[in-house]
Parts: sequence; structure tokens; C-alpha cells
Amino acid sequence: MSKASSNLFTRVLKLGSALIGAIAVVGGLIGFLVAGIPGLTSALIGASLTLAFVTLTALSVWLGGKLPLGGFFGVVLGGWLVKIVGFALVIGALKGADFINGPVLFFTLVAAILGTLAVDSVLVLKARIPVIGD
Amino acid sequence: MDVTNIAALSGNLAVVGYGLAAVGPGIGVGLVVSKTIESIARQPELAAKLQVTMWLGIAFTEALALIGLATPFIFA
Repeated sequence: MSKASSNLFTRVLKLGSALIGAIAVVGGLIGFLVAGIPGLTSALIGASLTLAFVTLTALSVWLGGKLPLGGFFGVVLGGWLVKIVGFALVIGALKGADFINGPVLFFTLVAAILGTLAVDSVLVLKARIPVIGD
Repeated sequence: MDVTNIAALSGNLAVVGYGLAAVGPGIGVGLVVSKTIESIARQPELAAKLQVTMWLGIAFTEALALIGLATPFIFA
């Protein structure tokens, strides 16, 4: 993977993490006002789940890019599969827990996912990746 | 008139939702990756650029999967 691509992924990870942190703060505040302590914990769990699962995709592409092409697709697709199964297990474990407020967790998760998608799209559109590698 | 059931469905309907949340994005990611491999085979010099574009495609498809899997929190 070229230096320009590595710079892009560093920026994506930094800005994405900052945005999810901001969403955790705002979501936690709204969740606390709406549902008390369960709302606060739900917002924090939703934001941290998004941070873990969305940034793993960027990390897998970034790290996989250092491998040959077969290794790249193996890391990206294998990581995706493991991640989705892991996410389903985490959701199954959290569902019905006492300290969770379902709607707050869901809407924090959706806001964080859409926010990181927006950040990713803007950064990729602005990125200047040369055709010729380093 | 007697009503006769010829087939009965039992179990949790949410499981069907989990399945659908996996099938759609699975097809989406498969298409994105297959087209990227095809493009890299045609123009290997564009691999770095195509990998980044592919990541954006995967990120969008993955968003659907994550939102779909999290719906039990509001629909349950």
C-alpha cells in the first residue's frame, strides 16, 4: 500500500475516533436525560461498539494492504466475517440486560455509523492517491 | 367449517431477521470484492487506488449489516 493510502487511513482512524468520541458524549448526555444511568451506559456501549467494529474494517484494509493481493483479500474478508459473527454475539449477549436501554443504544450506534461513513467518504473523496506507487 | 393447518411455523421470528441482515450485505461485499479483483486484474497499477475505493464500498455495506443486526434493540 502506498504512503498516500497509509496517510489516508491514519486520518480516517483519527477523525473517525474523534467523531465517535463526540457522539458518545452527546449520546450519553441525551441518554442520561431520557433514561437515566441505563441510557448513559447504553450510549457509551453503542459508541464503543461502533468504534471497535468500524475502525477494524479500516485497520484490516490498511494492514492487509501491506500483504500480497491474496493476503489482502484474506485479511479483509476473513476479518469482516469474524467481525459480523462477533457483533451478532455481542448484540445477543447485551439484549435484555438490565443496564441497557435499547432505543438509546440503537440510535447512538446508527448515529456513530452514519457519522463515520460521512467522515470516510469525505476523506476518500479529498484524498490524492497517485497511480504510481512509492 | 374446520380450519386445518397444513404447515406450522414455530420459533423466534427475529432469527429470520438476523439471516436477512447477513444475506444482503454478504451479497454486497461479494460484488464489491469481485469487481475489485476484476479491475486489479485488468489494471494492476491501479491496485492501491482500487483497494481504497473497495474499502469505502465495504464500509457502506457493513453499515447495513451492523444496523440490521442491532434492530432487536428497538423491535424486540
